[in-house]
Amino acid sequence: MSYKRSRATFEADLTAQQSPYVFFGTPLPPRDPEVRDDGSYVPIWKQEVRDERGRKRLHGAFTGGFSAGYFNTVGSKEGWTPSTFVSSRTNRHKDTPKAVQQRPEDFMDEEDLADAEEAKKIQTNAAFAGLGSTANDATRASGLMGLFRPQGETMGVKLLKKMGWREGQGIGPKVRRKARLELQNDVTAQGETFLFAPENVPMIAFVKKTDRKGLGYAGESGLTPIGRSGSKKGSHGDTDDEDEDDYGALGRPKLTIGGGRKKETSKIRGGIGIGILNDTGSDDEDPYEVGPKISYNRVIGGDKKKKKATIAANPTLQAKPKFITKKAASSILGKVGLGVRKCHDGRLPLDGFVFGKESDALTTEINSEGKYPPPQIPPGWVSSRTPKPESAGGSPANYVSTADVAKASTLDPKARAALLGEKQLPGKSVFDFISPASRDRLAAVTGRSDLPQALGEVPAAYARSEAEKQQELLDRVPKLDKETAIAAISRGIGGGAPYAEDEEKRARYRGYLEVQAGFRPQLPPKPAKLTDEEWLREFHEFFNCARIFKPMTGFMASRFTTSSSTKSSASTTGDTKEVVSRPPPKPEDPAEEAARLGMFGTMTRSVTDFYPTRLLCKRFGVKPPAHVQPDNYDATSEKKKDDVWSQFQSYGYQGGGGPGTVERELLGLEFGSTGGGGGSTAMADLERGGEAQKPAEVVLDTSRNEALEGKRPGDEVFKAIFGDSDDDE
Amino acid sequence: MDVYDNNTFNGKDDFPRKILSQLLGSHGPVHAVTYSASPGTYILTGSADRSIRLYNPIPASPSSSTATTTTSSTSFITKPSQPPSTTPPQGRLIQTYTSHGYEVLSLSVSSSNATFASSGGDRAVFLWDVSTATTIRRFSNQGHTTGRINSVIFAGVDDSLLISGGHDTTVRIWDVRSQSSSRPVQVLREAKDGITSLAVSPGGAEVLAGSVDGRVRTYDVRMGRLVTDVFPGAVTSLCLARDGKTVLVGSLDSKIRLMDRSNGQCLRTYGGDGNANGDAAGGWTNKEIRVQSVLGGGERWVVAGDENGAENSNGEGRVWAWDLLTGKLVAKLGVPWGPGGGKVVVGRDGKEKERKNVVSCVAWKDGGFGNQFCVGGTSGVVTVYGEA
Repeated sequence: MSYKRSRATFEADLTAQQSPYVFFGTPLPPRDPEVRDDGSYVPIWKQEVRDERGRKRLHGAFTGGFSAGYFNTVGSKEGWTPSTFVSSRTNRHKDTPKAVQQRPEDFMDEEDLADAEEAKKIQTNAAFAGLGSTANDATRASGLMGLFRPQGETMGVKLLKKMGWREGQGIGPKVRRKARLELQNDVTAQGETFLFAPENVPMIAFVKKTDRKGLGYAGESGLTPIGRSGSKKGSHGDTDDEDEDDYGALGRPKLTIGGGRKKETSKIRGGIGIGILNDTGSDDEDPYEVGPKISYNRVIGGDKKKKKATIAANPTLQAKPKFITKKAASSILGKVGLGVRKCHDGRLPLDGFVFGKESDALTTEINSEGKYPPPQIPPGWVSSRTPKPESAGGSPANYVSTADVAKASTLDPKARAALLGEKQLPGKSVFDFISPASRDRLAAVTGRSDLPQALGEVPAAYARSEAEKQQELLDRVPKLDKETAIAAISRGIGGGAPYAEDEEKRARYRGYLEVQAGFRPQLPPKPAKLTDEEWLREFHEFFNCARIFKPMTGFMASRFTTSSSTKSSASTTGDTKEVVSRPPPKPEDPAEEAARLGMFGTMTRSVTDFYPTRLLCKRFGVKPPAHVQPDNYDATSEKKKDDVWSQFQSYGYQGGGGPGTVERELLGLEFGSTGGGGGSTAMADLERGGEAQKPAEVVLDTSRNEALEGKRPGDEVFKAIFGDSDDDE
Repeated sequence: MDVYDNNTFNGKDDFPRKILSQLLGSHGPVHAVTYSASPGTYILTGSADRSIRLYNPIPASPSSSTATTTTSSTSFITKPSQPPSTTPPQGRLIQTYTSHGYEVLSLSVSSSNATFASSGGDRAVFLWDVSTATTIRRFSNQGHTTGRINSVIFAGVDDSLLISGGHDTTVRIWDVRSQSSSRPVQVLREAKDGITSLAVSPGGAEVLAGSVDGRVRTYDVRMGRLVTDVFPGAVTSLCLARDGKTVLVGSLDSKIRLMDRSNGQCLRTYGGDGNANGDAAGGWTNKEIRVQSVLGGGERWVVAGDENGAENSNGEGRVWAWDLLTGKLVAKLGVPWGPGGGKVVVGRDGKEKERKNVVSCVAWKDGGFGNQFCVGGTSGVVTVYGEA
């Protein structure tokens, strides 16, 4: 039953059965109505559109129309199930084992995928100029060089355009000038100035000289190509052509000498250079004028024709031959005749100088490669300037920068000073002069314990005697103005003097004040147990303390009056708040300062109003103070409640006052009287009885509550009393 | 001054130096001790183990002293064998009040001795019935919203008010009589920092609140005045004299000051060593922990606990006493750790550490006029001192 043939046996059998005569290749499958023959003809009505995966989908357009998702739905075979919301608070995404990441590709069909693939191809943004490119005009630097230049605008031009630059403008800030209208002359357009972009200035570029002719020599240009010369010579209306010739494609001046006008006016003599130096200054005669003036035609052919045409075209202009001397011609040539052509700085070239022919730098370099090689150095030639080997700075290999030299140097400042012959400083370090305390601070900050010991020396120039030191110390004692000192002293008499805890300190404080007030010539001697610093610090403390007693100035005193409640005993002092107007970074509470100094009393005391509720006053058994408002919320509700009880009492509902009274009575019943002798009867009872006797009291607790509840009047009584009151109990 | 002069009565004064008894049973530090009202027969202790205990400090008989307590102290305290002869007698534990969910920080006994109030970390003030050991009232609704309640005290005519102040910088006054109102009678919000201590003047209807912001605010209900006195450090302890004219203020600048309440002047300073810089060697310092200081012995002495234990003294704490008038140190008593012996404790890091017995709470019998006082602290043992 479960006999299974191998594929080879099956195929052999099949071949034997269906196509026994096939000896080479693979036989066609057997013709079986059930099995479709792929190559067989299928009528159109039976043909089906299927994609490459065999799916029967409607495709159209170029590669198959629109087909997305599951039969153009967003669902799937199972239907559309939105993903369940998972709170990231409890179930962090990163904690989930394998988050199903949806990629854009999951939602793309084959067409989209093909597009995406297509988009991945890299190509240049702008086409490079190639051979035979139509954009390669002749004016550009010719040859292979053009291959390496990108077409279109360079990045610099793009950037400039984004910054507002337009082609034809110069670069730089705008210039205010008059408008140059071609129709109007400068006479008419005056006064009105506008901002214009600066004039375009062609860039200067130096051309490598590749020939061996003299500087500025332009002899060869005399022989111009035929067509060109003819056109220039003849056509006056052809200005566009001239302009184009004047500027190269890159905006540089190009091909200077040898314009047509020169030919019209002067003769060019071969290749012999006749300069201005030969000019005698006479305008009338030309020393090199040869014989009869014969105008040689240097251009072969096309001359007469052109000339005639010119005359016919513009007889007024060119009919009469004009004489222009050589000097004038040269100047005109240099300046006026080539007026559009100026140097890159906008000026005309110097007399006698002309613009040179400029060709592309790269091309010339390539062209000149090997043509004019540098001269060979004769073998065995030794330069007389060969640096000596020991001078290290000479050869580049041995070059060492100054910084490196400085690093490599082992000299310390002293050694350098010795080398330079400077006067030696005293051989002591900073630590010889600083105090040990400063040294400890330094050590603590730097964390280094190997600092040298501080000696605390004083240089001889600064050494002072003991008396001078003392004097200096006394100078540093803060000065207090006399009025303040007197006020502080009188304040001390009043009893509220600071430092009540320390008699000695108080004496010192008093001495300080007396000196400041002028009662005493000099300060009391420094106590032995205080160091200079501590002594001085104490004086500063005294100063700060006494400054509080600064009397108010008349203006301030007229404006403020001391509060009777707070400053009753402060006879001489002003308002403490006002005094502490000194500028510490964080203004300190004067009361706290006074407390720190031990000046308890009015300085540390402030009195404000306090509004106890009426119930509080009642519970304390005192009359409410006058300033307490009767309409306090708590007070009113409580008052009403008390009134209720009094009402009940008067109605006879309850005999013993408020609930508290009842409770107390009951408590008294249970635990004995509250009188002085048996005050702790409850505790005593408890102790005597031990823990076992406790439940008895609990019973009585419940009965007490029953009594209270039972005597409570009904709601109608409350209503009758309060009427429309909605006050909650 | 002789150090730790327990039992050494030098004849100059009758300061109670003798350890009468030790009150055991707490499983944690004792934060509050108080004597019962006027005769002061009993001692209430509030402990960090969330319970309040009522003791009779006088041991019943010499023989029965060892029966009750013994192994109650915490297990991490190692117990060196101590000679039984030096063990002071133990007071009798009468009742334990357990309703607090947090540590108990303050206690106040009503003058009738029928009720007492306690507060602590629960954000509620509990009013207890002494005999049934149940809470009558819990003043918590609209109460202190955050933090602990550091201090609670009875006030008003017939103790009809309860005043509490705590970490939320407010002083709240509750009506004990009103059964229905859960609202405080008044909330005093002037303090800028937590309230640490409260005092009520005996007759003058004044509430004193000491705060961490270094101020003692006196709310005079009769006059409607609020008098604010500034102190250099956080005020941690207040103790009014019986006549209400002076107040003893302990603050965290290592000084205890006796202040004249009428004009706010400092009458006397205790602590330190009298010099300007207070923390000389051997001086009383208090810079970190709330340490109570009270008037005692008929307002002859100022007694204060100590946040520093005695050095190398087997976990002994110290109690200091100064003469009220002269400001001179009268006594410096050692407070033994207790029966467990608190010397060496294995900390969490496994290292042995010596435990400091911070004596944080002091109470003098009968409002400062009795003949004994008790102190409590870290060790959880309340030590009662009396005349020899």
